[in-house]
Amino acid sequence: MANTVDKAKIKEAAQAKKRETYVPVVPDMQLGFIHNNVDCIGCRACEIACKDKNGLPPGPRFRRVQYVEGGTYPEVYAYKINMSCNHCAEPACLPTCPTGAIFKRQKDGIVDIDSTLCIGCRRCEAACPFGAPQYNPELNIVQKCNMCVDEIDAGRKPYCVMGCMMRVLDIGPIDKLRDGTHETKARAPHESIVRQVKNMADPELTNPSIVFVAHSKGRVK
Amino acid sequence: MRSALVISVASGLFLAIAALNGAIGPGSFGAPGGAQAAETAQKPAAKPVAAKPGDPAAVDYLRAQWNPIHFKPAIDKATDADCLGCHQEIGKAKPRDASPAGVKAADTQAWYQTLDTYEGAQADFHWRHISSPFAKQVMNLSCTFCHQGNDPREESPHVTATDGKGAIQTAWERNEPPFTLRKMVNPSETCLRCHGAFPATSMGLEGKWHELREGMESPDAPNGCLTCHADQFRLVRHQVNYLRPDAIEKLAAAGSSDTCFGCHGGRAWYRISYPYPRHDWKDMPTEIPDWAKDRPKQSDARFLTKTK
Ligand code: HEC
Ligand code: HEC
Ligand code: HEC
Ligand code: HEC
Ligand code: HEC
Repeated sequence: MANTVDKAKIKEAAQAKKRETYVPVVPDMQLGFIHNNVDCIGCRACEIACKDKNGLPPGPRFRRVQYVEGGTYPEVYAYKINMSCNHCAEPACLPTCPTGAIFKRQKDGIVDIDSTLCIGCRRCEAACPFGAPQYNPELNIVQKCNMCVDEIDAGRKPYCVMGCMMRVLDIGPIDKLRDGTHETKARAPHESIVRQVKNMADPELTNPSIVFVAHSKGRVK
Repeated sequence: MRSALVISVASGLFLAIAALNGAIGPGSFGAPGGAQAAETAQKPAAKPVAAKPGDPAAVDYLRAQWNPIHFKPAIDKATDADCLGCHQEIGKAKPRDASPAGVKAADTQAWYQTLDTYEGAQADFHWRHISSPFAKQVMNLSCTFCHQGNDPREESPHVTATDGKGAIQTAWERNEPPFTLRKMVNPSETCLRCHGAFPATSMGLEGKWHELREGMESPDAPNGCLTCHADQFRLVRHQVNYLRPDAIEKLAAAGSSDTCFGCHGGRAWYRISYPYPRHDWKDMPTEIPDWAKDRPKQSDARFLTKTK
């Protein structure tokens, strides 16, 4: 823990960096998610596995499966979008944090919140374009998905991926997921990959590390 | 539904409580005042919420959550007072005094909190946009500027912000959705306007502002932006009802470039810059730069001020 001298130094350092905007960590390799919107059956096993792993009460949802339904008979459709934290290349949450609780790992680009440093100002929650940071009203702090870093460090996949019975959710190096060279069950060889689906915030804002196999009604442009 | 009996009055109960409480939250957390508030007050009352006194414990939570005021079209007519009637918590939210590990809020400072315009302790996000001293001077944000709808079921506009045919209803130009997946706002149309990157490339400048400014500012001319923006470039700006254009220019002329930089790169959460409209200005060059070819020449119609 920082002693008082360090705290004074932190303030000084902040002053010295006046008007310097934040420069994101460029990870050695960026991990990201892939989700197949079409084959997902919406069982929410991933959500529950996540809640279980993180001991979350009702309310905060690190991961959320969204049901998108529409059309008029006979042309009806339904598909799912599944997002947690997208571990963005240039996260919007990180620069808003006044205590340095949010950080991005050099090793794999995972964005994590050290909740013990969180003062619950909720700025990260507001700034995130994808609704990832979740407010915990009981503790008055914000928490979010960290891709189960402990599992990653142990060479395994996160709980949500392990819980997915349809194998429509997976992780991998995002570059390889994007160019289709990463082997995954979430995408069939003929299926193409997109960065954004309908009604999702513009990926240009933060360059999120997620790709989708989109439903025909969920395509943008 | 918790109790069918309370339904008829349920949705209005909180409103009355707010009225009794008078001032809401820190600062003057009422309607942000000014011309816009006066204007909205004169509109015929199309209020989906009836103000009736009662017992807040009897309010049906689910019913209030699904109150039509949260959705199109009623949300477009809602005033801040309507929203605050139920959402007083917005003005009361406060960060912790210390983090669970003991980091004191008073001991921390973010990079953007070193701007000359910054005042006060670590505070809530809503307070900073509506009631902070600087916010009150330079802008006039109403709840519905940011909140164009909400969807308690799927956090997706396709459920609650569509017309009979399933087409998204939006007040944003460019057909942007009223809010995006898992959000209560559309960040590209709201936050990005004031929290985008410093648009150096549009200005033909290279580098970061903290370096660039060094050659442009002096103690008698502390605002380097005005070196170029006082009488050369893009002189028609900020003529929208969610900003206070005269106050911005006055503060900027008297203060440092942080007044301008704050909204144009000094609090940049996003890696891009908002594609601002490009208003004609006096003696502007006739040639249009490539990046500006698709830019509108006017601010969004719904924000135009009457005086223009
Ligand atoms: C009749 C009372 C009432 C009024 C009036 C009202 N709300 Fe709400 N609103 C609620 C309730 C109850 C909820 C559910 C609260 C929750 O889940 O945190 C809610 C939820 C919300 C949420 C989502 C919160 C969340 O955590 O999911 C937003 C955003 C919101 N309201 C904004 C507004 C805005 C903007 C207005 C004015 C246009 C408004 N509300 C007017 C009662 C009201
Ligand atoms: C500067 C834009 C902005 C303005 C102005 C604004 N809000 Fe919000 N509000 C947000 C954002 C961003 C969130 C975070 C929600 C999210 O993650 O999408 C939020 C969250 C909320 C929530 C849910 C918070 C919670 O505790 O769960 C409510 C309710 C709400 N706003 C009501 C209001 C009301 C009422 C007003 C007017 C007094 C208002 N907002 C003005 C941007 C704004
Ligand atoms: C019209 C301009 C404007 C818009 C739109 C806007 N902001 Fe801000 N924002 C500001 C200003 C000005 C400040 C600094 C206020 C101050 O210094 O008191 C600020 C401060 C902040 C802060 C720092 C808060 C603090 O306590 O230091 C965050 C985080 C933030 N805004 C996020 C957002 C998000 C997220 C949105 C979109 C929902 C948004 N803003 C929309 C102008 C804006
Ligand atoms: C060296 C001169 C110069 C300085 C200094 C300067 N600008 Fe500019 N700025 C320009 C020019 C030139 C343009 C583009 C004019 C046009 O539209 O052709 C511009 C455009 C802009 C735009 C519109 C960008 C867009 O994409 O539409 C904003 C906003 C802006 N400046 C803000 C600022 C702020 C804030 C500062 C100070 C922090 C600043 N400028 C300093 C010359 C300058
Ligand atoms: C409170 C935040 C805020 C402050 C302070 C601010 N701006 Fe802006 N600026 C905006 C927003 C929002 C827009 C877009 C307005 C619109 O919708 O037309 C804008 C638009 C502009 C544009 C584009 C003008 C055009 O052609 O329409 C320029 C140039 C600009 N600002 C420069 C400046 C300069 C110079 C200063 C300091 C004198 C400054 N801004 C201070 C928020 C701000």
